[in-house]
This record gives sequence, structure tokens and C-alpha cells, in this order.
Amino acid sequence: MAVGARHFVKLKLRITANGLRGQTWRVALFVLGAVLAAGAALGGYLALSLPGLLHEQRAAEVVLPLAGAIIVLGWLFLPLVFFGVDESLDPARFALLPLGRRTLIGGLFAASLAGVPALATLAGTLGMVDSAARLGGPGAALAEFVGVCTGLLLCTAISRSLTSAFATALRSRRARDLATVLLALLAALLGPLQLAALAGAQSANWNSIARITDVVAWTPLGAPYTLGLDVAAGRAWAVPVKLALVLATIGLLLWWWSATLERAMLGAAGSSRPRERAASAREPVAQLVPTWLPRTRFGALTAREMRYWWRETRRRASLITFGVVGIFLPVLITVSSGSTAGPTGMLVFVGALAAVSLANQFGLEGSAYAAHMVAGVPGRVELSSRVAGFSVWVVPALLAIAAIVGLVAGRPEAIPALIGTLAAAYGAGLALVLPISVRAAYALPDTANPFAMSSGGGLAKGLLSFAALFGAAILTVPLQLLAFLVDDVWLWIGLPLGVLYGAGALAVGLRLTGPMLDRRAPELLATVSAR
Amino acid sequence: MTIPHQREGQDPALALRGLVKRFDTKLAVAGVDLDVPAGSFFGLLGPNGAGKTTTLSMAVGLLRPDAGQATILGYDVWADPAAAKARFGVLPDGVRLFDRLTGTELLAYHGLLRGMDATVVNQRSVELLDVLALGADNRTLVVDYSAGMKKKIGLACAMLHAPRLLVLDEPFEAVDPVSAALIRDILQRYVAGGGTVVFSSHVMAVVERLCTHAAILADGTIRLRGTLDEVRGARSLEDVFVEVVGGRTATGSELAWL
Repeated sequence: MAVGARHFVKLKLRITANGLRGQTWRVALFVLGAVLAAGAALGGYLALSLPGLLHEQRAAEVVLPLAGAIIVLGWLFLPLVFFGVDESLDPARFALLPLGRRTLIGGLFAASLAGVPALATLAGTLGMVDSAARLGGPGAALAEFVGVCTGLLLCTAISRSLTSAFATALRSRRARDLATVLLALLAALLGPLQLAALAGAQSANWNSIARITDVVAWTPLGAPYTLGLDVAAGRAWAVPVKLALVLATIGLLLWWWSATLERAMLGAAGSSRPRERAASAREPVAQLVPTWLPRTRFGALTAREMRYWWRETRRRASLITFGVVGIFLPVLITVSSGSTAGPTGMLVFVGALAAVSLANQFGLEGSAYAAHMVAGVPGRVELSSRVAGFSVWVVPALLAIAAIVGLVAGRPEAIPALIGTLAAAYGAGLALVLPISVRAAYALPDTANPFAMSSGGGLAKGLLSFAALFGAAILTVPLQLLAFLVDDVWLWIGLPLGVLYGAGALAVGLRLTGPMLDRRAPELLATVSAR
Repeated sequence: MTIPHQREGQDPALALRGLVKRFDTKLAVAGVDLDVPAGSFFGLLGPNGAGKTTTLSMAVGLLRPDAGQATILGYDVWADPAAAKARFGVLPDGVRLFDRLTGTELLAYHGLLRGMDATVVNQRSVELLDVLALGADNRTLVVDYSAGMKKKIGLACAMLHAPRLLVLDEPFEAVDPVSAALIRDILQRYVAGGGTVVFSSHVMAVVERLCTHAAILADGTIRLRGTLDEVRGARSLEDVFVEVVGGRTATGSELAWL
């Protein structure tokens, strides 16, 4: 019997269902995710059918390609930054089965379409079909429907191939730096787009916006979503051209994906070459603990944590992603808004985003945590050392971000206050993230892909991240208000006040979470041990 | 510290009383009572899925029992974890090590985690790495170690703080004969020096060769226990094991297509 895509889809659905069985919180998460996705889909549908309802062909030609491009870019970036990809079908598990590459890729691709995000995207973008039908009749609706479907294929293909390629790249040391640069460039590409959009919005010049969207409509990002409009506007010849463009893109992406996948599968079979290091003549403790750390339990834990953030692919990926996002977003906002006040709100976001990396800190090393339990490490020491080890990487990054943003905004004198804001947000974020990391830890699949999540894990990760970001924003409201009210004085008191605030929040978080960890350590170990 | 020492003399090294663990609907461990005498080399036998790992995890404080008590050298593991945990070392099975460290770093890490002095950690680490043939100047990450090397470094981590009791889950699983002989030798010396070893296994030959005491665990309960001679009687340990566990023997008529 030939193995077809439907076998993969069935397998994926079966694994998802089995993962939910008997796990109340997972079912709850799944339902919550489905409800949120349904809400987003409904909102998307309404918004996208609006141009049609108003019979505004012009508006549709602006809204649809832009919205489409945003959706595709969302599929590209959200998995990298927030959600990870659902890898309940781990490609490496198929390595020993007699499956052709085409069957495997086709099956995995079909399976990744069978998920809540894909369904929600499809449902939301059907609003475009609605619009096209009202503007150009059934022919346009049909063309738009085909476009929306290929658009969904494009979204899935782009997110799978990019995370897979990035994962492969991260494994080898040489390619790693290349991948970092590549991601940075991708993020940088958002800049001109955003600038153009903002400039267009400010001048409210329809013509210039329309010119941009006309270009977007001919890129693979916007092309699938404008097929119906072309029919409605009497440019039916454009449909096959755009369709060919999109299909070729999808084909290329899938080819790229299969190439990286093959490498990943070989890697899983144990071909990752052992890292030969030069023999060290130093004493064992000196090899582990740098001289500037105490040779105690705290020192050892911090040193190990510090190393792990660089040596482990999953952590390195999140560290690099944070670095890229953390520098580019505030800089872009500063440049595009042209304000000289410094993007305080964005910096709060960045500070909290740094803390969010620790939201599943116990899941990151899984059952290895047993060693700490056997040694009887107190919860306070455990948590504070983890924060310290992570901060060794993040604090310099935050300082650099503050400096860069201050310089870009043309107000170097505001840098200390910006550092204060970042410190407050980081501290408040940590205070929120620490209890989350103990109470809401989840097991990560043991695969080579640092972005891989077990089914449902992606949603948990995303929701918890947003909760922590939102919470940190609320916690720092008093400081933000103060900064707004006493702008001049803030330049002076921002740094000490922000650092104090952040440190205070962190101290409270540690004090509350330490005993919680002491009580719940066995349960925590059980949840993070992948079964 | 004087009172505990007196207690350690009389108490069994490990005492389990009515340990129960249920996973969802499955009763993994259904009331285990076990005494491991101090100074014994104790083998916990059982087929796959008998509950060996679950029992040992509850005994060392990694898995919270639904009911029952675990006492190590007179200290209740769940009521007084700090005192109990200082007195034993564990080699868990199927549990990841902090494998992004080199072997040397991992040993130093475990030593400092136990609150040991850095100079003692240095001295003992070098000695352990040397004895276990892992190489003190080897800078390979543990993740790139072979299965046997991983067991050996895990054993070294468990022994570094010189505990009086070693709890080892499948210490000979996936270990080549040379490494196995080395591990056996070290453990025998440890017991001769007054230490106690509890280990789980389903390899009868190893148990017969090493153990002074044994217990057979099946379906979550202890079926047979005592000194090795009490357990096996006049027969071979393997025969006793298969009979107690109730395994089936192939008749030869099935799997004819093979």
C-alpha cells in the first residue's frame, strides 16, 4: 500500500489527540488556543471583507496585499521568536522507514497544514474571498479562493523551511554566525517596509501607498492574495503569472526544506562530530568556574548556566533571536517615529522579552534537573544562579541596546535613563517569569531542531510569553508614568530608580518562588522529563 | 554528628515501607517494603516495567510517592531531605546528565553542588577520572561520550562526595565488558570499605557474581527477598527469576515464518 499524505495527517492528528489524553491542563490550553484562534480568524475575516462590503476596489487593492504580506511575514517570524514549530512529527523518526523524499516532504507538509494556526489563517483570509466576490463576482471569488489556498501553502512552507534551515545552520559553528547575520538582515528588511508604511500613513497620500502595494502585490508575499482583485479589475492575465510565481516560490522553499531536513536526519543518526577541544592543564574546578565567580554552589550553578546558554542550540537560538529582535525593534521604532524621547514602551517590551527566555528554563535541560534535586540545591540558590548565568549574556546586550537607541535618537544624555527603564522591565519580567517557570514548565521534544515544540507546547510558550510581557508592562506602569511626568528630572533619577525597581521586583520574585520550587521539585521534574 | 553515627550503625542503609505510586490508571508500584542492610551489595531484580526505576526514584527523593516512607541511614528522605541526601549518591537511568559540560567540568560541578571544598573536589575529580580511564585532561563534551563513558562519569559524580550508600539504576546497561569489569571492581572495593550499594538490573549473571543480597520485583511488588543464597536456593538465579516473574517459554510452534 502506498504511503500518502493522508497517513501523515492521520498520524499527526492521532499524536495530537493522544497528547491531550488525560492531561487536563493541556486540554484547557488546547481549547483556549482554539478559541483565541477562532477569534483571530473571525476578526480577520471581518476586517478583510470590509473593502468588499464598502465596494472600494481601491481600498481592497491596498488592504489585501498588505494584509497578505503581513500574514506571510507573521508565519515567518512568530515561530522564530515566540511559538516554535509544532514538530509532533519529528522528521528524524522517519529516517529508517523506506519512504521517498517526495513522500516524506509531501506528508510532513500536509501534516503541518493540519493544525489550528493553519486553519485559523485559512478562515481569516477567506474574508478576502468575500471581498473579491462582492467586487468582481464569482469568477473573482474563485480566483481569490485559489489564491488564498496557495497563500496558506506559502505560509506553511516558509515557516517550515526557514526554521529548519536555521536549525541546521545553528548546529555548525561556522554557519552559525552566517545564520545570525541572515536573520539580522531579514529583520532589517522589515525596516524599509515599515518606514514606507509610516511615511505613507503620515502624508496620507493614497498614490504613494498604492504604488508600494502594487509592488508588494507582485512579490510572492502579496501575490497570492490579489488574484481575485486582478480578475475584478479586468487583469485576468495576471492571475496565471502570479500563480506561477507563488507556486515556484513554494516549490523552492520545499526543496530547500527537504535539503536541510536531510541534513538534520543524518545529524540525528549521530554524525555530529565530537567537538575536540584542546587538553586543559587547569584544575577541574578552575575549568568549570571562571575566576570571577565564587567556588561555591552558586558559582558552579551560575557557571554551568552561563555555558549552557551558549553551548546548547536551543538556548543559543533564543539568545541570538533576542539579540536581533532586541536591537532592531527599538532602533526601527526610534528611526521611523523620528521622536527624540526614546521609545520607552518598546524598551519595556525588550527588557521583558529578555526575561521571557527563562519562562521554561527547567524544560530546557529536562531530566538533568534530577542532579540538583539529589544534591539538595535550595530553590533560592537554584533560581538566583539561573538568573545570574543568563544575565551574564543579557545585561551587556541590554546595555548595548540602551546605548544604541540613545545614540540613534540623538539624545546620548538619555542613555542612563533608558538603562534604568530596561533594568526595571527586566527585573519585573523576571519576577513574573520565575513562578511561571516553576508552575507552568513543560517538556521539550528531544530533537535537533531548537524551534521544535511538542504539540500544544507552542501555544503554551506563546501564551506564557505574552502573559509575562503584558504583566511586566503593567508592573512598570508607575515608572513609565513617572518618566512621562518628570521628563527632565527622569534623566537623572531614571537609572538609580529603574535599577532599584528591577532589583526589588527580582528580590520579591526570588523570595516567593524559591520556597515554591522547594515544595514542587519532584512534580517539576516529572513535568519536564520528556516521556 | 555523634547521634546520627550511632543510628547509622543499627539502621538499615535503605528502608522502604509501603511505597505506592500510581500513574494515571496504572499502579506502577503497589506497596514495596524493603530493607537493605548496611554494608551489603544489594541487587534489585525485575523484568522491564516491573517498577524498579519508579521504586528507586521514590527512594532517593526524585519521585513523590502516593503513600509510604523511604528512610536512608535513619533519615526520612521526604521529611528530612537535606540530611538524607547528603548521605547517598545516585546514578539514575534514563536521566540526562548536564551533558554540555566536559567530563571534568561535570565532576567539578557535582562536587561544588554538594557543597564540597574546591581543593577536595579537584583532588578527588582527578583521581576518579584517572581510575575510570576517562582522562582528566579530556575536553570532550559529555554529550559526545559513548554510552559506557556516560555511565562511568555518572558513577564518578555519584561517588565524588564519598557517600555511605550508592543507589545505581541499571549501572551495567549498555556498558562494554571492559568498562563493566572496571565498574564492578570499583563497586566491590567500595563495599569492602564499608559502603552499601543498591543497584537494579535484569542481568542475572552480574547479580550472581556481585551481590550479597537480592530482591525480585515484579508488577510493582517484591516477590522474593533475602541473601543471595536464600533467594536462589539450590537452583540458578535465572530459573528462580523466570518462575517468580511468570514468564512464558517459547514452544517452537509460533513465529514459524521467521
